[in-house]
Amino acid sequence: MSDATRVYRSPPREGSPVSDPTEAPPDDGVKITIDGREFTAHKGELLIAAAERAGTYIPHFCYHSRMSPVGMCRMCLVEVDSGRGPGLQPSCMVPVSDGMVVDTESETTKRAQEGILELLLINHPLDCPVCDKGGECPLQDQAVAFGPGESRFVEEKRHYEKPIPISDLVNLDRERCILCDRCTRFAREVAGDPLISFTERGNRTQVLTFPDDPFSSYFSGNTVQICPVGALTAAPYRFRARPWDLDQVESTCTTCSVGCRIAVQSSGDQIVRRLGVDIDPVNHGWLCDRGRFDYESAYSPERITDPLMRGRAGDSELIEATWPAAMAATAETLREAIDAHGASSVAVLGGARLTNEDAYTWSKLARTVIGTDNIDSQLADGLAAEMVLTLPRATIDEACSADTVIMFGVDPKEELPVLHLRLRHAVVEDKVPMIEFSPVETSLSRHCRSVRHLPGALTESVSELLASEGERIGSGSVVVVVGRGSLAGSGEDIEAAVAAIRQAIPHATFLPALRRGNVMGALQMGLSPGILPGGLAFSEADRLGEDWAGSQPVVSDEPGLDAAGILAAAAAGRVAVLILLGADPLADVPDRDLAERALAGAGTVVAVDTHLTVSARRAHVVLPASGPGEKAGTTTNLEGRISRLGPKVTPPGTARPDWMIAVELADRLGVDMGFADSRRIWDEISTVVPMFSDCPVERIESPEAQDGILCRPAGDGDLRWDPPAAVAAPPVDAYALRLVSSRKLYDQATMTANSPSLAGLAEESRVRLNPRELDRLGVTDGGRLAFVSPRTRIIATVSGDEKVPRGVMAMTFNAAGPAASELIELGTVVTEVRVETL
Amino acid sequence: MGYLNGFKVTFARLFEDRVTTEFPAEKRPKPVRFHGRHVLNRHEDGMEKCIGCELCAGVCPAKCIHVRGADNPLDDPVSPGERYGFVYEINYLRCIHCDMCVEACPTEAITESKILEFSFTNRDDAIYTKQELVVDDEGRPRHQPWELWMEGEDEHLSGWMRATAPSGAAAFEGRVGWSGDLGHGVRPPEEGQTAADEFEGAEETEAAT
Repeated sequence: MSDATRVYRSPPREGSPVSDPTEAPPDDGVKITIDGREFTAHKGELLIAAAERAGTYIPHFCYHSRMSPVGMCRMCLVEVDSGRGPGLQPSCMVPVSDGMVVDTESETTKRAQEGILELLLINHPLDCPVCDKGGECPLQDQAVAFGPGESRFVEEKRHYEKPIPISDLVNLDRERCILCDRCTRFAREVAGDPLISFTERGNRTQVLTFPDDPFSSYFSGNTVQICPVGALTAAPYRFRARPWDLDQVESTCTTCSVGCRIAVQSSGDQIVRRLGVDIDPVNHGWLCDRGRFDYESAYSPERITDPLMRGRAGDSELIEATWPAAMAATAETLREAIDAHGASSVAVLGGARLTNEDAYTWSKLARTVIGTDNIDSQLADGLAAEMVLTLPRATIDEACSADTVIMFGVDPKEELPVLHLRLRHAVVEDKVPMIEFSPVETSLSRHCRSVRHLPGALTESVSELLASEGERIGSGSVVVVVGRGSLAGSGEDIEAAVAAIRQAIPHATFLPALRRGNVMGALQMGLSPGILPGGLAFSEADRLGEDWAGSQPVVSDEPGLDAAGILAAAAAGRVAVLILLGADPLADVPDRDLAERALAGAGTVVAVDTHLTVSARRAHVVLPASGPGEKAGTTTNLEGRISRLGPKVTPPGTARPDWMIAVELADRLGVDMGFADSRRIWDEISTVVPMFSDCPVERIESPEAQDGILCRPAGDGDLRWDPPAAVAAPPVDAYALRLVSSRKLYDQATMTANSPSLAGLAEESRVRLNPRELDRLGVTDGGRLAFVSPRTRIIATVSGDEKVPRGVMAMTFNAAGPAASELIELGTVVTEVRVETL
Repeated sequence: MGYLNGFKVTFARLFEDRVTTEFPAEKRPKPVRFHGRHVLNRHEDGMEKCIGCELCAGVCPAKCIHVRGADNPLDDPVSPGERYGFVYEINYLRCIHCDMCVEACPTEAITESKILEFSFTNRDDAIYTKQELVVDDEGRPRHQPWELWMEGEDEHLSGWMRATAPSGAAAFEGRVGWSGDLGHGVRPPEEGQTAADEFEGAEETEAAT
């Protein structure tokens, strides 16, 4: 591909900022001398960090810039003279002081380094040839660079059982461990899952989990990445490749919308590993395990490699077809539908899997070529697009340094894990006051001020807080993290709560915690009814230039249907062609029944997807799309940060990028879109869409863009968000439970379910109730109850959970087993469920 | 008689020793450390020496070696240790017989034999897999139909053949620094090399290790 995004920054950075020569020395600077050269360090900076910025590398194992220093490994001993004569001090524990003279190359320093390495290697086995870390191992490298070359120890080394699995994803080899405390510190300080710890004493000191309690952290993969030896290795990567046969490209993770920077590594044209790259504004080098390991899904047997089509007889099987045949059939069906029922009989669902360029091309295809506005990238499970695009947006950094953070409608640990790490750090370490509203306890509840509210009563709860403390909170900066947590309600209460905060605290900014990969990019490219690229309203179509203004007949009409509307229309038989752009309505629409009827009622269903999802199996034509790591382009994270994706491997079979499919469809419908690669598409986007005018291709490709470029809507357009009037929650029905159905990190989502290492981590569907509720109903943990909503009656396993208050039932969305989406009716403010004992 | 002068050299050569080797009926002798096609050795107990570490593939200047490791099955281990060579392929259309792989191998698994007389009729045959490379149950290389082996040519294999002294120190001359092989056991130092006990300064070397 001509626009190959090849930015190498290897090895992945570990948050060690290199001094910027243009940076002026700080006013409160501390003057130190490192190896005879003067350097002005920041006040309070650790010596090791200052030296690194000054360009002097001090070898170390335990020090990590994103965690507190512990001085465990002693490798960073250097000769420091702070006025009392030179002496060896661990540079990771010593803050710089004025006049400090440091010698990192003195005889004494060298002897200390050789000694430490000789000691560290006493028990370290010579596993290097079979060790996954061999070749990229800090211990190996530093033994070569700073070690004595020979050992005086001939004694038998210490032996432990070779790798023991400490979780489904991580293996621990205690023989190799040098006890640097990085993994245990990460688990304790960063992840907040202190499930691994040092056990025993002296020569038997070892890292272990607690008995019968695996290291089941969502962030366990990070310990593998930061382990300075091969003690912790990733099970999915075990023996898959050696560092020297890896080829690497920097990219952005699109598993959720946080947009963590990653290094995608491949061997033999197969992605074999993802590593976190440390960028300041977003992920600090961390990744969640889903983002780290779900590349496996690309090689699942469910991956679509060639177009599939049903024969003319409607009930026939999906069989492999050629691209020309599948495209001709799709274009023909589209033309027939437009001729027979008008362009508005075509609807497009989905688009959050797409790159910005894909989304723009599809948006343009739908609006200017097909002529329909029935297009929605969210599946009635997100937030109102108008709200997301008009609210003043905050960045993650702003959220983490605000005077008050208000959060509702999201449990970031389950939906946006790395955002959880950032917020957790802000709340726990930096003591940022956070107020959280949630119907059930979330992962941050015990660290912040958490307000419980009944499902549907969010607005009242927020208004109450604003009435009593609004003035105090409003006197400082306020960032509101808002998501669509429970899918059992319409989400109108969330909108009303946002409106209430807007009114009470006009300067509050918002971080929309939408979940899907590039949903922000899709919305900003106009994959939402009534919205054109750049968050422009129909009335502003002429600002987008000829192509878009030329589609006036379409865009001057009433806005099209959103996902709920499309599904209802399809169910009523008014949608002739339904295009699923990586959407799986059967799994993701909160209302399963409606999704079923919609797929059955739509004339022709065309699925453009990477995997044969439940919904794609129902399609008439399935077009294979390239997935993450297989295509170039850009993605937008929840802050509106645009970053480049790195294509690393060729897509399997004949799968191709979504924009290419759109361009060919347009071509077959008689319009030449003129796009030959994704670079050309971004070129058009930055030329015609005012919002991206200061973001030309050259800037996107410049090194400056490695941390992403913030592009937020100016908010001066015609697009309006009309918040719903305060939604009154229906009165409490004492005989019913209110359903809360939110997502877990591991569920039946396409990528997770198709990654062998992750699929097993997804929990079976179960209903969680307050233990007292269980007592009242006379069932025990693991018992079964029937749940009746206006929609249907399901039988599910129940378990007691103190995190769920009385009167509420919590059920994971999209888990294997009885589906919560069967109980939910789209559009109701709360889903009330009656319980029947069996 | 002038034209007979032209035959002077010819007639003179008639009475000299012949230099032509009747290949393929016979072969010219090769040096002991000649670089021929590779073999993958086994330990004396029959376990494969290859651990799939890919160092040979990494060092190969012709990029002709493709190796993939895999988890050693606990119930039926292929090699001692955690990992074994799951895939091992050498493309002889690329191999330049430089012996770097042999030097890189940490377990003396890959060594080169003396055989270089092989030709292929298709490219697939040129890619030797584990099936062709791993020695047989007697520790002998597996003869392929397109290879010309002579009597005794399958003798000089194994880590014993490596060019460098064990641990790289010349002072270790005369000491067995190689491991045993299936079918051959631990081979003694070559003829002409000083045996350990007659090596001058052997005791100091002994003491130093």
